[in-house]
Amino acid sequence: MLEGILSGVSVAAQPINLLMVMVGCFAGTFIGMLPGLGPISAIALMIPITYGFDPATGLILMAGVYYGAIFGGSTSSILINAPGVAGTVATSFDGYPLAKQGHAGKALAIAAYSSFSGGTIAAVFLLIAAPALAQVSLSFQSTDYFALMVLGLTAVAAFAGKGNLVKALLMTILGLMLSTVGTDQAQGVPRFTMGRLDLIDGISFLLLAMATFALSEALSAVLKPKSKEDQARELEAQKNLGSMKLSREEVREMAPVVGRSSILGFFIGVLPGAGATIASFLAYGVEQRLAGPTKGKLFGKGSIRGLSAPETANNAACSGSFVPLLTLGIPGSGTTAIMLGALLSYGIQPGPRLFIDNPEVFWSVIISMYIGNVVLLILNLPLIPYIARVLALPTAVLVPYILFFSLIGVYFVSFNTFDIHLMVLFAIGALALRLMDFPMAPMLLGFILGGMMEENLRRALIISNDSWAFLWERPLTASILAIAILILFVPILAPQLGKLKRKADENAAEGG
Amino acid sequence: MSRDRVGALLLLVFFAAYGYLSTKITLLPFQLNQAFHARTAPQFLTFAGVVLALFLLIRPSDDRPIDTSGMVFTRVALLCALMIFYGFTVRSLGFIASTSMFLIGGFWVMGERRPLVLLGASIPIAFGFWFLMVEVLDVFVAPWPAFLR
Repeated sequence: MLEGILSGVSVAAQPINLLMVMVGCFAGTFIGMLPGLGPISAIALMIPITYGFDPATGLILMAGVYYGAIFGGSTSSILINAPGVAGTVATSFDGYPLAKQGHAGKALAIAAYSSFSGGTIAAVFLLIAAPALAQVSLSFQSTDYFALMVLGLTAVAAFAGKGNLVKALLMTILGLMLSTVGTDQAQGVPRFTMGRLDLIDGISFLLLAMATFALSEALSAVLKPKSKEDQARELEAQKNLGSMKLSREEVREMAPVVGRSSILGFFIGVLPGAGATIASFLAYGVEQRLAGPTKGKLFGKGSIRGLSAPETANNAACSGSFVPLLTLGIPGSGTTAIMLGALLSYGIQPGPRLFIDNPEVFWSVIISMYIGNVVLLILNLPLIPYIARVLALPTAVLVPYILFFSLIGVYFVSFNTFDIHLMVLFAIGALALRLMDFPMAPMLLGFILGGMMEENLRRALIISNDSWAFLWERPLTASILAIAILILFVPILAPQLGKLKRKADENAAEGG
Repeated sequence: MSRDRVGALLLLVFFAAYGYLSTKITLLPFQLNQAFHARTAPQFLTFAGVVLALFLLIRPSDDRPIDTSGMVFTRVALLCALMIFYGFTVRSLGFIASTSMFLIGGFWVMGERRPLVLLGASIPIAFGFWFLMVEVLDVFVAPWPAFLR
């Protein structure tokens, strides 16, 4: 392992890669700060640029963009109460009240220190957990991979569905359906190509990601413009950041919160589908309970603990979500799904073999995550007052640029104008579904995993002589599928259990 | 109609069309007897999708209608038209002319009327991006219409 870490350090410390981490963090912060654009859009916009790069360099850039976009999202949450992504919603609970009290600088500093600590602790966990899991997963078979993918999809649908499992499952199925367009890999038969040669290789994942995230998010901002009062309020918030210094008492108050939330965040992040959103809400809830009645009352009114906990947990969860991606080749979130797509486009198959076949990629990505955290703290934090001015860029100029970069990003890969038209079609569809609160992340994950799922299921059936019994005869496969079914029932059973508990409490109160 | 029902109906139509097209996938006679062939996954997905869409249609979790107040549909439609137009012109008119036109049109649709912004934020960007692609990244992109090349 030490050898691997050293090789990772040597790759990540190359001047070009260090430059890429810095560029990635800046670009990510910049894009993540723009309302509506999150890490998925930020990474998608970077992919065409990285095609000519060495895989390690490209991934290092994307890891930097990922961290930067989350930090940028926290900044817009704190300054203007506009979380770009669900993972930073909990940050705005106490970050925005602190900013309103005139402590925006302090809130940003707390967010940066917490993110750094959470990312650092989680990177250490990742160093230990990823190789261990990679070794174990070498014994996995096609049936287990198929079951793991089912688990990943159901988990994302269960947790990312904004409380509506059926909608999230429908979006997962839509993504799986889109993945079947093109030539069937095993039998060489064209499917759903409508006789068009443009569709014979299927739909490009970059096209779908750009259309359903970057394009539809930009169009969504045009569809629902902000009021003049909101714009004036945001401008005021960017001007008055206040001091960024923290007192010794504040640091002492933050320290245990950071420790607890890092561990919690990392382990939640490792679970497929759970990710930064659940980690941040859970950490917030845990700290509120642990704070006691006096300090607990401050939550939601500008509590330092309330800001530090979700910020630490969401960064730790981001590192955690790389564990299933790097070791099993199965993304646990929309963001890692897009990174998987990028890896595949470099010709690298993530999974247990990545650790053996491309150790430089495996280790340099992990090391660069740590470097990314340092860059964010040392370079981005002092520059926040200047970077925050991006929020003042007029939408009239910004939107056409986002549209242009999205279109050209896809066009420069294929040089096929059909792709531009297909993107517009998908963007309109995604915009309509967004209006009806259908989540996009399960669709993207379904699309990316669809091909692999079909391939693994087909292989498993060939190995088991066309018998479906492998689903319940192999203990590991059966256990993973059982967990998937359990996860599927969580959103259905949780409200019912809550109702029962409330009823029991009321009965007890009446009885007493 | 509630937003859940509208969404479910749209998806149901899509799934039905997908299911119909899945029956058109060509299979060789020996493939028909296999446990898993090119139609298996699409047909399973169609079944699952239709069942779930019907469930949402019958039992929507959200009864609120789609709130379209304050939404600017014209602007979105114009931007979409502009993107489609860009798709048609990026090759025929060349990168620089089509990109400049797209950006100027985009700023205009978004309400920008100052000539300095319209021209200054579009033409130099188109030139700069073209230069970056051709000279730095070594990717050839035709700058001008075919008759000027």
